[in-house]
Amino acid sequence: MNSHFFAQLLVATVALATPLLLAALGELISETAGVINIELEGMMLCGAFAAVWAAHGSGSVVVGFLAAAAGGLFLAAIHGILCLFFRANQVVSGIVLNIFALGLTSFLLATALGPTTSPVATLHSLRVPMLADLPGVGKAFFDQNVVVYAAYLMIPCVWLLLNRSPLGLALKAAGERPAAAESLGVRVTLTRWLALSICGVLAGLGGGLLALAAIGFFTENMTAGRGFISLAAVIFGRWRTTGTAAAVVLFAAADGFQIRLQALGIVHIAPQFLVMLPYLVTLVALAGLMRRMRPPSALGVNYLSS
Amino acid sequence: MNWQLRTRAAGLNVLIPLVAVVLALATVALLLVAVGSNPLDAYRDMWNAALGDRFALSTTVTKTMPRLLAALGIALALRAGLWNIGAEGQLYVGALATTAVALYAPDLGAPFLITAALVAGALAGAGWALIPGVLRATRGVSEVITSLMLVYIGIQLTNYVLEGPWSQPGSTFPSSPYVPTGASLPVIVGGTLLNAGALVGLALVALAWFLMSHSTFGLRLNAIGGNERAARVAGVRVSLMIVLAMAASGAFAGLAGGMEVLGVRGRLVEGFSPGYGFEAIAIALLGRLNAFGILGAALLFGALDAGSAGLQTAAQGVPASISQVAEGLAVAYVLVGLGLASIIQRRRAARAALRAAAEQPASGEPDVLPIPTESVVDS
Repeated sequence: MNSHFFAQLLVATVALATPLLLAALGELISETAGVINIELEGMMLCGAFAAVWAAHGSGSVVVGFLAAAAGGLFLAAIHGILCLFFRANQVVSGIVLNIFALGLTSFLLATALGPTTSPVATLHSLRVPMLADLPGVGKAFFDQNVVVYAAYLMIPCVWLLLNRSPLGLALKAAGERPAAAESLGVRVTLTRWLALSICGVLAGLGGGLLALAAIGFFTENMTAGRGFISLAAVIFGRWRTTGTAAAVVLFAAADGFQIRLQALGIVHIAPQFLVMLPYLVTLVALAGLMRRMRPPSALGVNYLSS
Repeated sequence: MNWQLRTRAAGLNVLIPLVAVVLALATVALLLVAVGSNPLDAYRDMWNAALGDRFALSTTVTKTMPRLLAALGIALALRAGLWNIGAEGQLYVGALATTAVALYAPDLGAPFLITAALVAGALAGAGWALIPGVLRATRGVSEVITSLMLVYIGIQLTNYVLEGPWSQPGSTFPSSPYVPTGASLPVIVGGTLLNAGALVGLALVALAWFLMSHSTFGLRLNAIGGNERAARVAGVRVSLMIVLAMAASGAFAGLAGGMEVLGVRGRLVEGFSPGYGFEAIAIALLGRLNAFGILGAALLFGALDAGSAGLQTAAQGVPASISQVAEGLAVAYVLVGLGLASIIQRRRAARAALRAAAEQPASGEPDVLPIPTESVVDS
């Protein structure tokens, strides 16, 4: 393992981390407001499918990404109708929407899009002059597509939103003490709708990035658990922006490491244990063997305004 | 979830799921029209492949079993308000343990071998569910995320064993060696797929029905699900019951995995469950947490699965994934129905309270209207 290995690992990590980061930041905002999205996986899947479908129809990557956001938003809207309006249990809705999203995207792939569709145009990478030539890190961080740069920017933006803005305060109030928040003039249900919608858009974009960053086509269940990893990242990141971002990078690095090792034919570390790492460390963290975890008090608890 | 578990009008428990299923099938029909397929042809092919003859029926029953068992377990835990959403993982480790016993102890006589292998599967599933159960009971950690995380840990553990210690030289797809013939669940109706597992399944429906509706255990679970604090005051050992409920729940799922190996595939295959454990959550809800309701819902999902598999061979240009679309829609409509029922119920209660207040002339103290200002409806 030389510096070349680590440079490649870094490239793989950034590529793997970005879709997760978008979905995880969306989920963080939503959970802060008290709405949990087990269907994050489904949102990404809908985003990925919509991206390819729209990019195929229009020939434009930009339209593809707009559609990706709409795809994620579509599933978020159903979750919102079921949970925020009909006040169904959020876990049940999430599980059911995952089944629905997998079925719907597979169905549309086979019928509307057609499985033999040729790849659509993918995003060009935008080299940042000078920085991209930095040894080791240059290619990984500064020779990426525009959505990756946007994802970098999302970290400070989400941090500011949650910690330094009135809206962030409303989101936290809705997720911690909905009744008290309502009495202070926060419209809890509306706030939760907003947070859920942001999550749908970001998770959809994450899915879109998965499809349009490099490969340009959609395959059945192509997210393959990335939504669940993003969900785990929010928890392992202890419901904080920086923590979530760090967890995403850790999980992506473990995945990238596993892929690189297999590519090099090094098999004495069973890849399955690296693949299960995100789930394992999240479980251990939840078990309280590390630092105290405190989810938003009203997470997953529906609120009935009077 | 009180109102949902104990909807006063028992008729709604039958009516809402039935209407939801009809609406789901109608929605899928519209979707088929939208993509230019004939829904009548598709549904006829599905009917034939799922219910058309004895073989089709046996396919449906076979595809019902894992979903049924996992759903019974989920319902059992849900009675106590516990969300075991990790049945999928319990199913995998159950299958792993069953396969291990069948492969490493083939010298046991056939009935003993099958029993031992299935018991091992149930125990493994129980053990896997015990982790979130113990964390919930002792540290108050929500079982939702922990059981979900254990799904992927269980699946990767299974993958590791299949690609590592049990890997078959020359095999293109990761799978274990075949279990000895003595360990296979025998086919009970010649010329069909119906194996002895179906009888086990029926027995377990009866067992779950008894446990949930007619045993002290079930009463205690209901008490915890209704009001944990009140149950504790009434002398229920809540922590112990939580652990037991999760373990029992996991045992059902583990058994589901074991029976899939011994009854259907004859060996453990990587990724053998296309999400039975997740569908089981939908089934438990569609069946309204009642053992026989769950049997009906599981048969519906099994028939959709068998029917949609038939679609692929019938080459109508309709993909098998429409079964998942229908399943997802059916439960979504159930959630809408339950939500509507509760909104109507709340409106009625509010109106009755207003009427009572209006009829009562003001006499000193104002009445407090029993309209909930904050209600944590965790359905």
